[in-house]
Amino acid sequence: MNAANPSVRREAVGRRDEVVSSHFALWLTAGIVVTALLTAASLLVGTSSIRASVGWLLAPDALSNTVLWHIRLPRAVGAWLAGALLALGGAIAQGLFRNPLAEPYLLGSASGAALGVTVSMMATDASLAGLAWSGELGVTGAAFVGACAAITLTVLLSRGVLQTASLLLAGIVVAFLLSAVTSLLLLSSPDTWRAMQAFLLGSTAFLSWHSTILLAVVFVVCLVPSVLLSRGLDALTLGEDTAQSLGVSLPALRLALLTLLSLATAITVGQVGIVGFVGLVAPHLVRESFHISQRRLLVAAPLCGGALLQAADLLSRWVIRPAELPVGIVTACLGGTYLVYLLWRRARHA
Amino acid sequence: MLEGRNPGALTLMAISSREISVQYGARMVLDRLSFEAAAGAWTSIVGPNGCGKSTLLRALAGLIDPQHGSVWLQGRPLMSWPRRDRAKRLAWLAQTAGPSDLTASECVALGRFAHTGWLGSRQAEDETAIHRAMSATGSLAWAARRLSTLSGGERQRVNLARVLAVEASVLLLDEPTTHLDPPHQEEVGRLLREQAHGCRVSIVSAIHDLSLALMADRLLVLRHGGLVGHGSVQDALDGDWLSQAFGTPIKIIRHEGAYLWQPQR
Amino acid sequence: MAVFQAEASAPTRLGIALMLGFSILSCAAAAIGVSDRTPPAADGPIVLRDSAQHELRLEHAPQRIVTLLPSLTETVCALGDCSRLVATDRFSNWPASVMDLPKAGGLDDAEIELIVSLKPDVVILAHAARVTDRLRDLGIATFVAETRNFADISRTVAAVGGVLGVPERAQILNRDIDRAVNEAVAAALIHLHGRSPLVYYEVDSGPYAAGPQSFIGELLARLGARNIVGSELGPFPKLNPEYVVRHNPDVILLSTKEANTVGNRPGWERIRAVQEQRICSFDPQVSDTIVRPGPRVAEGLRAIADCLTRVAP
Repeated sequence: MNAANPSVRREAVGRRDEVVSSHFALWLTAGIVVTALLTAASLLVGTSSIRASVGWLLAPDALSNTVLWHIRLPRAVGAWLAGALLALGGAIAQGLFRNPLAEPYLLGSASGAALGVTVSMMATDASLAGLAWSGELGVTGAAFVGACAAITLTVLLSRGVLQTASLLLAGIVVAFLLSAVTSLLLLSSPDTWRAMQAFLLGSTAFLSWHSTILLAVVFVVCLVPSVLLSRGLDALTLGEDTAQSLGVSLPALRLALLTLLSLATAITVGQVGIVGFVGLVAPHLVRESFHISQRRLLVAAPLCGGALLQAADLLSRWVIRPAELPVGIVTACLGGTYLVYLLWRRARHA
Repeated sequence: MLEGRNPGALTLMAISSREISVQYGARMVLDRLSFEAAAGAWTSIVGPNGCGKSTLLRALAGLIDPQHGSVWLQGRPLMSWPRRDRAKRLAWLAQTAGPSDLTASECVALGRFAHTGWLGSRQAEDETAIHRAMSATGSLAWAARRLSTLSGGERQRVNLARVLAVEASVLLLDEPTTHLDPPHQEEVGRLLREQAHGCRVSIVSAIHDLSLALMADRLLVLRHGGLVGHGSVQDALDGDWLSQAFGTPIKIIRHEGAYLWQPQR
Repeated sequence: MAVFQAEASAPTRLGIALMLGFSILSCAAAAIGVSDRTPPAADGPIVLRDSAQHELRLEHAPQRIVTLLPSLTETVCALGDCSRLVATDRFSNWPASVMDLPKAGGLDDAEIELIVSLKPDVVILAHAARVTDRLRDLGIATFVAETRNFADISRTVAAVGGVLGVPERAQILNRDIDRAVNEAVAAALIHLHGRSPLVYYEVDSGPYAAGPQSFIGELLARLGARNIVGSELGPFPKLNPEYVVRHNPDVILLSTKEANTVGNRPGWERIRAVQEQRICSFDPQVSDTIVRPGPRVAEGLRAIADCLTRVAP
């Protein structure tokens, strides 16, 4: 039997699928265990040596309490939630646009957030009144508002959510447009440019318990409706016409899912800046490995994305300790490696 | 040619189009086409490539908005039905489907979407419908396999099962026999007959293979832009509608109870 | 813990003496019973409002200080309290003693955990919303001091002096700075013999120029130089290189990195400053004194003045 025979290969893959999908619950448990391990490791890694951290756990004092429970733990949990939200957004985007390489920033939210932060920072410099309102909003609020504004602009430009192609195109246009405006503004204020670098590279360093709770609430608010709507996404994989004939209202589905995608992305960009690749790699990785329905994907992808960003955060604190790398650089390296692996695998099978 | 029937006199199991026109840009694909699919009968749309078979089916399914005219389902305009009720009464099979990671049983279960809703909680009747549909199309064997690991023919049978699982009163099928090998093509033909006669389902299909198309009860013969005729297969043969539609002489012979197209050498 | 003991230079000794004196005086005042409450700690509580309109409350003068901007580091050290620094940002490099201190990242990407683990009494920084908010969340006192231009220097020195609990020392430092600046300016003007060269100061390749509204522009103006850039262009405009050629500056000031190749830029060989080799180049250490609005401003002025007096036509 020739192993290259497509029907034989399909059979083999099909059998493997049965094994994998029947153990989906097991895989989920494994994911949770990995997350717990990463969280524990996050408690031990930082500016102190691992031995010192363990010492802190055994004999806590005021400083160790602050560092462990108010810096490292919210950072680890927040990183998981941010990664989970990005992966959820990515899974929604990939399902909605039926493109395995879609990612959550494709409606221009990243550029909008950057513009929002730039405007906020420049207002701080410009005047006391500017300081007051930008202080109220904060960098996170400004990024959120900017992201939402960008997505609204995209939807307006594509005249509604009916055509995925025009949505994608509008998203690209808005991203470029807002980037250009941001660059123009930054030209006139080199100080702000320096400050923006930190935001653009992404950072989990400022995640407090307040941010973490906010991310958690938004995660639940986005996850539950997405999972409920996932059957519509499953129907969509059979084709738009088929989905419509089965009774799925495509405009309503698109609007609902895009809103959830926007909320998830905007909140995350506000809290951790622009962290790339997680939203693309996590759902893609889960789908390539497990080939599951959209409903299961929307549960498994956040688990994978959360663990991914936690791991990246851990690495960013470990590699040049006690200094840190921006987490966006680590995710770019990890994500880039994965994509290279995909290319290599594809070339090997061709 | 509108067969002069009072809509009120129709039985409730029918779909009809009234003077519908569909235009793609400057090209008029369907021009004021009116016809009724008789209840409990299998109507086959035949005609040359590009004459509008798929377009007509899609218009009947409500997937295209005709520029003129309207589609009526069971005595009411199609668009006046709430979406869910429409989906329960009308099932559509696409000509092509993209890759999907769904398993065969998940795909067929989606046929019950209009019944189970978004949550997808399956009642006993849903399970029965799914099981029945899959065994009718012989696709139970690969229920747990992903669609993308199935061959074209196996996938087609799963899609057919999905359409059957809807338990709709109107089936609109665009090329239901593609990818199927001849024995299975015949099986499908028999299955459709049984659905139409046994379960009082109205079926409208577009099949380009004439011998298979002629397994139906009625024919709707189209040529570019217009209707040639609508009636039973015998009417079509008597009126030589097929030759008019295709523009070349088409010879049909009857052999052992089946109508066969005889290729001209 | 890498707390560095500052070398006992004269200003430091003077500063320590002043602090002791002040402490003794306030102890005495408290003992005399100015109020009927429990006498406050030796130097008394410090209550100040910073540039971000936040209030800083310290029970007593801070002993462990983190600074996140080089000019702020220099100000603390110029006030004689280098020994109280426990960490700085990665760009602080003067005086040499701070190089041994732990580096807590930059301003906008400050390393929160490192700062917290050093248990500072106060963190002095410029506007950086995320960092400030996070530190305050964690219970670390912050003080924001923004120094943009010349006038801000004395304000910042006074403010930092207040934070450190050495306001008189700050007044003395401000006077010293003023005097040094005036001396430098006076000497320069003498040596310039009334020359007022047309200058172009390049801050970064781009080319980004220092306009009259910037700190550097102010220094140039004090020396009587005329800037090819008008104030309507903003503090650091990115110029069309053609602009520089058209305005034909007498002197070009820039970093040593660019000095060798500036003449190769297309069209620039026609500029008077290039033709007559009137180019002032500053290596990074000297640049630091020019670009940082801080206590070393007089040094920066002198560096510019020295070069200008040499090469101005």
